[in-house]
Amino acid sequence: MRVDLGGPGPSCSAMRVRRLAAGELAGAEGERVARHVAECARCQAVQRGIAQEKTELARAVPFEAFAAGVAEKLALAPRRRATRVLRWAAPLAAAAAVALVAGAALVHRPLAEDGAGPRAAQFGVRSKGGASAQLFVQDGRGVRELGVAEPVPPGARLQIVLHPSGRKYAAAVLLEPGEATALYSGPAVQGALPQSFEWTGAGQATLLLVLADTPVIAERIHTRADTPAGADVVQVSLRR
Amino acid sequence: MAGLRVIEGGRAGAPARGAGLPPGLLAELYEKHAAQVYGRCRWLLRDEHEARDALQEVFVKALRSLDDFRGAASPTTWLLKIATNHCLNALRAKKAAFREQLEAVQAVRKQDTEPPERRELVRMLLGAAPPEAQEVAVLYYVDELTQAEIAETLGRSLPTVRKRLREFIAAAREALRTAMPGIELPEGDEP
Repeated sequence: MRVDLGGPGPSCSAMRVRRLAAGELAGAEGERVARHVAECARCQAVQRGIAQEKTELARAVPFEAFAAGVAEKLALAPRRRATRVLRWAAPLAAAAAVALVAGAALVHRPLAEDGAGPRAAQFGVRSKGGASAQLFVQDGRGVRELGVAEPVPPGARLQIVLHPSGRKYAAAVLLEPGEATALYSGPAVQGALPQSFEWTGAGQATLLLVLADTPVIAERIHTRADTPAGADVVQVSLRR
Repeated sequence: MAGLRVIEGGRAGAPARGAGLPPGLLAELYEKHAAQVYGRCRWLLRDEHEARDALQEVFVKALRSLDDFRGAASPTTWLLKIATNHCLNALRAKKAAFREQLEAVQAVRKQDTEPPERRELVRMLLGAAPPEAQEVAVLYYVDELTQAEIAETLGRSLPTVRKRLREFIAAAREALRTAMPGIELPEGDEP
């Protein structure tokens, strides 16, 4: 049995159909290709494939996940290329700008943890088999890493990104003196939580992230002792 | 009083002002190009998680080379080339077993009289070819660029593109002969 692997035809080209769909073919060329596609079954099949790809993208990678993922990679990559700072100076500027657009500045933030209670995960450090998380911080000065003792700037956006490592459920709670505020209860999404936050408080607070195999209800967590046994707990100190 | 408020606009937050890139650029790139890049990554990597990661990596590369991207005669062609390269490199890095895939498909086909789906066959045959020929084969058989268009896209000479295609065909023939007896490519060493 002989199989033709294909290739460009006299008038057909999958790339031309793609370019037409992307609005890259204007004027006479665009009109010519559009006329051809309207009468060509092979090119119409490419069009259907393009439509299918859009459906698949919307299902698998909604825009918010896409934007957060791109911003995260833009911000993290320079850390891995620390010895090439000068060469990457211009791209870093672009990275910061995109992070602003995406609303997600990525920061590995060391965890101030007390080591007590359930298995403690760390920010930016993936414990063996355990979940971890990152805190994204963004303010008017752009992207930067927030030091352990550095106060949270007024107006800064905080974005929590989870790395569940197989955990199915997550909760996020802000603990302030005498008060606990539930921020999130739901699936342990791989990536950014659905909302970013601004801390408008003063003094000190603790951001508690719980990742577990069973549903976790943030409203029931008032102290770290309320976290379920066996859960991964990430604890971050906020101060202003 | 609890000191945390949700920022309007969801995870992306309120639209940023004064950013170095035009507001909405990422949304525009997503709307126009992400689907086909994701489709290419899924097709090559055959893994949804890896494809999602590759999609983001490709756009990171695009944003880092924004002038090249914007200056490209065809942003679509430029992005798909980057995506193809990225995925082929990833497959080579993990030593993807194309040959085993061919044999597995053959085992499932058994006595089928229908040939394997064309694009799937191309994908499985890529691993048999030298790295330089793989990208050219995707541009030719999947994106259906002419040899001249491939030469222009890759910045190579036309004879080099022809040579790479011949290398791919020779490698594909050999792979089919041993892994999929009964399936042949048309005669000749030029597409």
